[in-house]
Amino acid sequence: MVRARLQAEIETWGTILFIDVASTTAGEDELNTGIDECRKYFYFVDEVFSTYKPESEVSRLRAGKIKLEECHPDLQEVWALCEYAREVSDGYFDPWCVVGGFDPSGYVKGWAADKGIAILKKHGAENIQINCAGDLSLAGGLENGLPWNIGIRHPEEAHTVVKIFDIMDGAIATSGTYERGSHIRDPHTGLIALGARSATVYGPDGGLADALATAMVVAGRDGAYLFMKPELEAYNCWVIDRHGDVAWSPK
Amino acid sequence: MKRALLIAGGTVGGLGAVLSITPPQFGSSSTVAGGIQKTTPTPTAAPTPAAAKAAASGPSGTFMGDSINTQFGPVQIQITISGGKITHVAVPVYPNSSGRDQQINSQAVPWLIQEAMKAQSSNIQGVGGASYTSQGFYDSLVSALAKAGMK
Repeated sequence: MVRARLQAEIETWGTILFIDVASTTAGEDELNTGIDECRKYFYFVDEVFSTYKPESEVSRLRAGKIKLEECHPDLQEVWALCEYAREVSDGYFDPWCVVGGFDPSGYVKGWAADKGIAILKKHGAENIQINCAGDLSLAGGLENGLPWNIGIRHPEEAHTVVKIFDIMDGAIATSGTYERGSHIRDPHTGLIALGARSATVYGPDGGLADALATAMVVAGRDGAYLFMKPELEAYNCWVIDRHGDVAWSPK
Repeated sequence: MKRALLIAGGTVGGLGAVLSITPPQFGSSSTVAGGIQKTTPTPTAAPTPAAAKAAASGPSGTFMGDSINTQFGPVQIQITISGGKITHVAVPVYPNSSGRDQQINSQAVPWLIQEAMKAQSSNIQGVGGASYTSQGFYDSLVSALAKAGMK
């Protein structure tokens, strides 16, 4: 029996985040405390990681004004995780290969959403959805014990769902030519990425799912082999080809 | 229901085929944000057998939602429905007095459309690959759906 269920919106990171939490043990007050802590943490993440704020640590790092060792431990952690994501994606995700220097924006959303899940769990939340403008981190499934049903929208037809994924725990991230236009570049060539129209990646870790979705927009079908790596055994993707209205998954 | 299974069987699925399986139902149990006032639509005429038959396949027409005041200004939604299915969502009234508002709106309008999608399917609790809207847009949408007899 659900004791409390709350939904909240948090405006940050240049977008609006949506949180949906439920618990059989915690009451509304406790869940609200968790949501408040999440909100504060997400604002903090914006202060550290926003490439749009010249005084953020990441902007100062990019400008060479501070060294990595002087940065907040969270930024050092994301740096290391981005190195891993670059390695495991064979360079198709490369936040160092960006005009202006290291830009972890393609990793941070999913990574921070996972942190938000941990915060909410600490306050007794059991069924959690954090939706960061279309990239989701999920925990505990639905209150009835079934998985979350997450629809993925068509890349161009905004009101059409093209695929539904059942997810109990984990993250699902989509990259492509959605609202912000084609903002992804091929690290190998520096040109606008042409690999796929849209790539959805799902797996246990939000940051890595986020990064791999970007990687697959760059790589397209050439990147299918990445998901055969043992390190990515728990991950899969669903990719809409650049041409021909065809979608595929590597496994 | 496992609509996704229609294309999950193979590694390659035609997107054209996928589009035709867009959820056709209007769930009364859809999971949606915020406090929603359920409104019963006012019938404009006594239903005739023919009208009752048309209602069975769902309403059609263009419906304007209520104008909702938000911290950014008033917003108003207009939906077009064909055979009980939302075919178009427009935002004829939205705040655009500043660059910041425009930034919010550019994210809000697409997410509004996701809420419309969720409203059509009781089987989706979240939408990926999309941006997000504020409560004002959503409330106006709900009132438009109510006027259409879909909420």
